Amino acid sequence: MKRRNFIKSMMAVSAVAVTPMALMAKEDAAKAKKKGPNDMTYDAAVAAISGGKEVKDSDKIKLTVPEIAENGAVVPVKVEIDHPMEEANYVKAIHVLSTKNGNVRCVDVMLTPANAKGYFATRIKLGGTQEVVGLAELSDGTFIKAAKSVKVTIGGCG
Amino acid sequence: MKRIILPFALLVTMVTAGEQFAMSDADRAMYKEMLENNPADIYVEEGGEILEETLGGEAALAKFLGITEKELPKYIAGFPRYIKKLGNVVGVDQVLQAMQVEQEKEKYKLKSSKMFSMLAYVKSLANDEQFTIDIKADEHIKASYDLGKKTFETARGGRGLSCLSCHSKDIVGQVLRTQPLPDLGEAAAGATWPAYRMTKSSLRTLQRRFQGCMKNALLKVIPIGSKEMVGLEVYVSTLAQELKKPIAIPGLKR
Amino acid sequence: MAEARKSMIKIKPKKYKTGDIVKVDFIVIHPMDTGLKKDKKTGEVKPAHYIDNITFSFDGKPFTTMKVWETVSTNPYFSVNFKVPGKGKITVDYTDNTGEKNSKSKKLKPKD
Repeated sequence: MKRRNFIKSMMAVSAVAVTPMALMAKEDAAKAKKKGPNDMTYDAAVAAISGGKEVKDSDKIKLTVPEIAENGAVVPVKVEIDHPMEEANYVKAIHVLSTKNGNVRCVDVMLTPANAKGYFATRIKLGGTQEVVGLAELSDGTFIKAAKSVKVTIGGCG
Repeated sequence: MKRIILPFALLVTMVTAGEQFAMSDADRAMYKEMLENNPADIYVEEGGEILEETLGGEAALAKFLGITEKELPKYIAGFPRYIKKLGNVVGVDQVLQAMQVEQEKEKYKLKSSKMFSMLAYVKSLANDEQFTIDIKADEHIKASYDLGKKTFETARGGRGLSCLSCHSKDIVGQVLRTQPLPDLGEAAAGATWPAYRMTKSSLRTLQRRFQGCMKNALLKVIPIGSKEMVGLEVYVSTLAQELKKPIAIPGLKR
Repeated sequence: MAEARKSMIKIKPKKYKTGDIVKVDFIVIHPMDTGLKKDKKTGEVKPAHYIDNITFSFDGKPFTTMKVWETVSTNPYFSVNFKVPGKGKITVDYTDNTGEKNSKSKKLKPKD
């Protein structure tokens, strides 16, 4: 009986001692929140992909995304590039990026002439309203891109 | 027609004609395309495998129901229905559970993911069919329909809401929490659930969706498979049946 | 050993000939956890768990590779085109950040 009371009182004391530490940990956690190990900004990601080379806007890229995404967790994205896919002249890669996610990178697709079309589709997560970007690398070493804004709504019932 | 008097709090949160939230035709086309690559297809396939491996597949299901395999699609399109040997109006999931008991196999809870997959598979056998629920077929199905309709229309819970408060013909189209409220018949709710829910990234059933709705509306949640829930499913399915909506499982929802 | 991951390869259209360009769709059940969200039930942060690399091959020869990030939706979908060389097998090999390796195949049967 005595021992139980002793342990109880010890626990009560340590409970009080722990609280300030717990508070600090919470604050740190709040600051560190949403910082993942893969986080990268849009400018840094584009620079990493293009090696600093110019990336021109091009209407050869047809980017299909919803104007309003019913749900930010599942946003359909389709990239279609009007460009040959021949052995000496093809779309080497399609990169799907967002502009405001912590990690803007979504998918890097390395294509080959066997794909026959510069096409890729997927579904991505968007943390809020922002642009989705389709960036393509052509076999001649040039880079082109297209961007479209997606409004992300949060709501609904159930 | 009975006028629905909404609680003031609910009126305040509603916005008329949410054009800013209305989906454009292009967007609608995109989401329709997503149906062709529905993750729920994988769960439906899994359901078929579980049914085959543990219960003997469609052959065993047809035998249990006392019909031929060829009659299955139209028969499944008539669920929930009165099954004499179970003495109740039941959903497909309850039939599957009864089969598990009869064959002395592991009985899945109605709220288990394996049961959801099997339910989705069996319901998908009725794809493209029209509902064949006949609420005049016997006293049991009539009672179930009446109970379902009553449950739909009964105001209860903390906000004094009923299903009808948000899903009556008067209210349809108004925007609540950024979403235009759907006409459950037009939206073919009964014909497009089980569905993949994007906000939950999983396969969800109609009754489970009802539960989610009830939670949000502060209505006490009704258990899956209960008389009231089955009745609700009968009632909501007839709304799609009246508008001749074909069955299309699995659906894809927000 | 963990149960094999569930996935599907869909070829569209269903009927095609050698030389046709088909759409190869790959859907897979995977949480694609970013490592930044808490489990609602336990309150614990769910560790990052996402597919990071995918290789599409035909009869053993790769024709598309992908580097995938945690920003892709849960239970993701990936779609590319492919010119049918003839009868053969498409294989999708994929790994995730935990080192888990998986594979799914589908036979190409052109109706020549």
